[in-house]
Amino acid sequence: MSKYKGKKRKAEDEYDLQTILEEDMSNDGATEAAVPQASGRNAEKNDETVQDDEYGAKDYRPHLELKPDFSSRPLYVAPNGHIFLETFSPVYKNAHDFLIAISEPVCRPEHVHEYKLTAYSLYAAVSVGLQTHDIIEYLRRLCKTSVPSGIEKFIKLCTVSYGKIKLVLKHNRYFIESQHPEVLQKLLKDPVIQQCRLKRTEENMDEEFIKSQQNMKGVSFGQKAIEETPEDEADKAKVPDDITKFYDKIDNEDEEEVSLETVSFEVDQEKIETIQKRCIEIDYPLLAEYDFRNDTINKDVNIDLKPAAVLRPYQEKSLRKMFGNGRARSGVIVLPCGAGKSLVGVTACCTVRKRALVLCNSGVSVEQWKQQFKMWSTADDSMICRFTSEAKDKPMGSAILITTYSMITHTQKRSWEAEQTMKWLQEQEWGIMVLDEVHTIPAKMFRRVLTLVQSHCKLGLTATLLREDDKIADLNFLIGPKLYEANWLELQKNGYIARVQCAEVWCPMTAEFYREYLVTKTSKKMLLYVMNPSKFRMCQYLIQYHERRGDKTIVFSDNVFALKHYAIKMNKPYIYGPTLQNERIQILQNFKFNPKVNTIFVSKVADTSFDLPEANVLIQISSHGGSRRQEAQRLGRILRAKKGSFAEEYNAFFYTLVSQDTMEMSYSRKRQRFLVNQGYSYKVITHLAGMDEDTSLYYKTREDQGQLLQQVLAASDIDCEDERMPGEGGFPRASTSRKTGGFSSLSGADNEVYYEQKKRSTVQHPLFKRFR
Amino acid sequence: MSSKKSTAASNVVQLECKNLHEYLKSQTQIISKLYDYPAICLAVFRDCIPAIAKQFVMRMLCVEQPVPQAVVQSWGSQVYAKENSAACEALTELKIWSESSISGGLTAWDLNPSFKRNLKIAWLGGGRSWSMFNSVEQSDAKSRDISFLDTYAMSRWNCLLHYMVDSNASKGSEMEGISVDAVRIILHANLMVRNEQDGSYMLTSQGFQFLLMDTQSQVWHFMLQYLNTCEQRGLSLVECLSMLFELSFSTLGRDYSSEGLSENMLTFMQHLREFGLVYQRTRKEKRFFPTRLALNFTTKNAIAPENVIENNSTNNSKMQLSDESNYEGYIIVETNYRIYAYSDSKLQISLLALFTELLYRFPNVTVGVITRDSIRQALRGGITARQIISYLEQHAHPKMISNAAASAFKTSSVLPPTVIDQIKLWENERNRFTFTDGVVYNQFLSEADYLTLRDYAQSIDVLLWQSERSRTMVVKKSGHEDVKKFWKRYSKG
Repeated sequence: MSKYKGKKRKAEDEYDLQTILEEDMSNDGATEAAVPQASGRNAEKNDETVQDDEYGAKDYRPHLELKPDFSSRPLYVAPNGHIFLETFSPVYKNAHDFLIAISEPVCRPEHVHEYKLTAYSLYAAVSVGLQTHDIIEYLRRLCKTSVPSGIEKFIKLCTVSYGKIKLVLKHNRYFIESQHPEVLQKLLKDPVIQQCRLKRTEENMDEEFIKSQQNMKGVSFGQKAIEETPEDEADKAKVPDDITKFYDKIDNEDEEEVSLETVSFEVDQEKIETIQKRCIEIDYPLLAEYDFRNDTINKDVNIDLKPAAVLRPYQEKSLRKMFGNGRARSGVIVLPCGAGKSLVGVTACCTVRKRALVLCNSGVSVEQWKQQFKMWSTADDSMICRFTSEAKDKPMGSAILITTYSMITHTQKRSWEAEQTMKWLQEQEWGIMVLDEVHTIPAKMFRRVLTLVQSHCKLGLTATLLREDDKIADLNFLIGPKLYEANWLELQKNGYIARVQCAEVWCPMTAEFYREYLVTKTSKKMLLYVMNPSKFRMCQYLIQYHERRGDKTIVFSDNVFALKHYAIKMNKPYIYGPTLQNERIQILQNFKFNPKVNTIFVSKVADTSFDLPEANVLIQISSHGGSRRQEAQRLGRILRAKKGSFAEEYNAFFYTLVSQDTMEMSYSRKRQRFLVNQGYSYKVITHLAGMDEDTSLYYKTREDQGQLLQQVLAASDIDCEDERMPGEGGFPRASTSRKTGGFSSLSGADNEVYYEQKKRSTVQHPLFKRFR
Repeated sequence: MSSKKSTAASNVVQLECKNLHEYLKSQTQIISKLYDYPAICLAVFRDCIPAIAKQFVMRMLCVEQPVPQAVVQSWGSQVYAKENSAACEALTELKIWSESSISGGLTAWDLNPSFKRNLKIAWLGGGRSWSMFNSVEQSDAKSRDISFLDTYAMSRWNCLLHYMVDSNASKGSEMEGISVDAVRIILHANLMVRNEQDGSYMLTSQGFQFLLMDTQSQVWHFMLQYLNTCEQRGLSLVECLSMLFELSFSTLGRDYSSEGLSENMLTFMQHLREFGLVYQRTRKEKRFFPTRLALNFTTKNAIAPENVIENNSTNNSKMQLSDESNYEGYIIVETNYRIYAYSDSKLQISLLALFTELLYRFPNVTVGVITRDSIRQALRGGITARQIISYLEQHAHPKMISNAAASAFKTSSVLPPTVIDQIKLWENERNRFTFTDGVVYNQFLSEADYLTLRDYAQSIDVLLWQSERSRTMVVKKSGHEDVKKFWKRYSKG
């Protein structure tokens, strides 16, 4: 049995942080290693000594001891850091909150969830205030068996130095603060840090720290949505006492008003960079916290949430993590698309009540953010400034500035107006910086943003902390740890997001197309399976079916040739890169309000941040290789909760059309992995009933199909490529240079990497400029 | 009753698994001999024939002469003529009655005299007593309760199954070993084959299927195979069968005496003991307890309550055996193809390993995943997708069942539909060829001939394939006549 094959595949999934870090460094030798060494640790290797049993499975039985009352405890912890959680356990809720804090979810289907302890997740845990011994102790109590000793060691190793020291800005002076004087002592022995220490008085106070009381006070956000229902007493009875007691302790730590004795010393503002770097080198990364209430230098701005803005429980929970101790922590909040990320962002800004900078990745989403601010908060037009290539509001005096990543990092000459705004922007000390769709930005671009703009705390928002190159790990240290990650299935159950039926529709390749497909070696292959006539027919059939139901359908195609062909043949509007902003808005408006326009075709420009709440059907005819992120993003387009449709099992549909027996099949399997792990299930459809009888479908006869084949074969090489996003590398260069990469790289399967072009093409089309 | 049985059997595609009715039907030469035993008559009456046939038999049992067919027919309403004739057929097949002619040229049904006599005996008493019904009079201190018997029976049976799954593995504690006789039966039944080269035993595809069946079907199938070989062992098939049926009418938890059994039957008893159908403390002891396996031998249903001896201490004990109402499954199947098996049983895990890739073993739970490779491996071994799915359904964890029941949207299975679909798709993947009957035309003398005929075939839409270069074409079989006629007409003029 080829059991080991599966293992290998799994091993490929696990990111090898070390190599990624090395790559990152070799990419730009100049940038410093901004990630501490400990992050390279990996529990995955801990079980190498464990014997395999006769079926090739890791046999942990001799190493773990089952507790007598195991049935009332919810966890299994494997020596390699994987944790299995039973969702039907009475303590599921507690255990789930705890695991979300200390580990990364691997998969969360209905009955048993899998989590994984990683260096990053533990870093995140300590930075939200969990202590090493608490983590271990609670894990011990939740576990059905004894906790593997390797895991305890791993937790200690990863948490011992993390989260101990904080960089706090208060009264406009920077302090390094800690609850552990011995750590500060150690820090001060370091010559580099010694130099950065700022001594206000000339007296010698080398070993004296500033002692202070920190008053931890919880923050409340707007209105409490739903009071948590008291749990069943009967349920509780089954749970061993030690679990509940301990959980209450951990849970309350954040919210209780506790005074903590802390020690701190002041550091030179000029040398913050140096200190941060040095701290990472000596493995004590600084956590940035912003004591916004005591910041008197930056004046408060007057925005509040409107009374109508009600936070959902999970939104509130995520914000509690951020403002847990009365200060603002930097970090990333992960919520599925359509689950109300913007409201979380707006609420965060209203809580900090300082100048806020919102960064997003397209002009369209700048507009959408502005609307969100106006909808949820008391901010009006005068307070919000948009800074894009089209809309340049007067920045002076505004409290909220919304712009795109590319506007900030733009390196070429700007207009005078933009230049002024940039200058102003750089001079400001921003209270909070909200980074939308944070996973899409390349690390380098991100660093540039951080060097250009000064802000006290950073909040990253994203739907999927997921990139094919796994550079996502860097974000942990560039922005901050992941503060919260929602469970898709649970949100779906509670009706916060739509219930989506995912389906993979298998379209058999017609004989002629398949023959060409097999003999073609070039990138034409891809065009052949996208233009497969049976795929076209399936697509047309589905569109007609859903139009009859009165649904609104979006059709996605990465390939522009196919996009145009499908759309023109079916006489539907389409949007792709070169479509003008005006036209886009017009098409989208029509889609929203015009009952005659029920279907639109879009290229990947619509992958992110096109907010189309009306759409409830999505058909994907060509996609970007095996990108799991794109799949999740696209699903997000139809996730926004649909009104009043609880009667049906599903209220949104997500079809992926796949040509059978082609590479698309394996790509599609790969793309689905993320969503499958979130508990989504894909239904495979091999045949659509009634399609053969439908005479209105095109390409029924062989002659028609033959003509289509001729068109495909006559298409130029550029047609065969996916649309290139301007941010990804401008216009396609000569096709000869591309062929060297082989087909798999052309389709993007093996290098789903966002990169910036080293040599900027001399002329950039103005249309492309607009779009990022 | 019999219909239920056949649904169970219909799950098994390749493994030939007869139900009692079919088995008896096939034993034409001995079937009348079988009716010499009241127990068999009773079992046949109870389990083998449709309810209407039972009516017929009961009405005719005390009638001392053949009953005209017309009369029999008049007993049932015309609306159910189909059922009536099915009942008649079943009785004929089993030779319970036969056609005879009576005066007046009428055809009549005549009940098999020995069947008639012995069924009466079974019901009304009389005749010589059943061999093992000489129950031991004095109640004995060492009596065994039902849960003990259940555990014993299951452990013996699992021992046998385990041998099949793992015959070549190291001898574990569970591997008390099984006798040469049992191995011979396994080989005879073609559940395993001996590898000629190294003498090791390998599971066959039938063996795979056998393992995935529920315990009761397994016992039944296995015992049939045993009976097929019992003549070779010098045992009388008829005697063995009657013994088995007598056992199936015994009471669970009661002890019986083996006094008065023939030497042959005592040997047979030892075999039953090995498979767990009866419990006997020592080989020499004159007393034995039938177990649930023996009681459920003929029926698909769990045994009737009156067959269980009342015993307060055991009322609440777990009846893990085929008592389905209390049986707790152990498998959780997730939408992402993960399998969590809450079991430590070596047998259950090794069964699961037949079609899953196991990842981790924890105490009390095993984590695995269904992959294309693992399923294909199983399919190659002859297991069908249907069997895998029904195994997973049969052993689904109570949480899976309760969740499926709680879901507002009724589904036909407790398993995630995607997993079911995918397993089926993986199976279908293996037979992608479609076959169409056709006729080849080739060796045309000229291009023109070829083109004319091809165009004609195309015009009436019967052309399957053609190659201009080799002047070959294939037409559908249905179109062959037309094309041939056309060709004759064409070549003539």
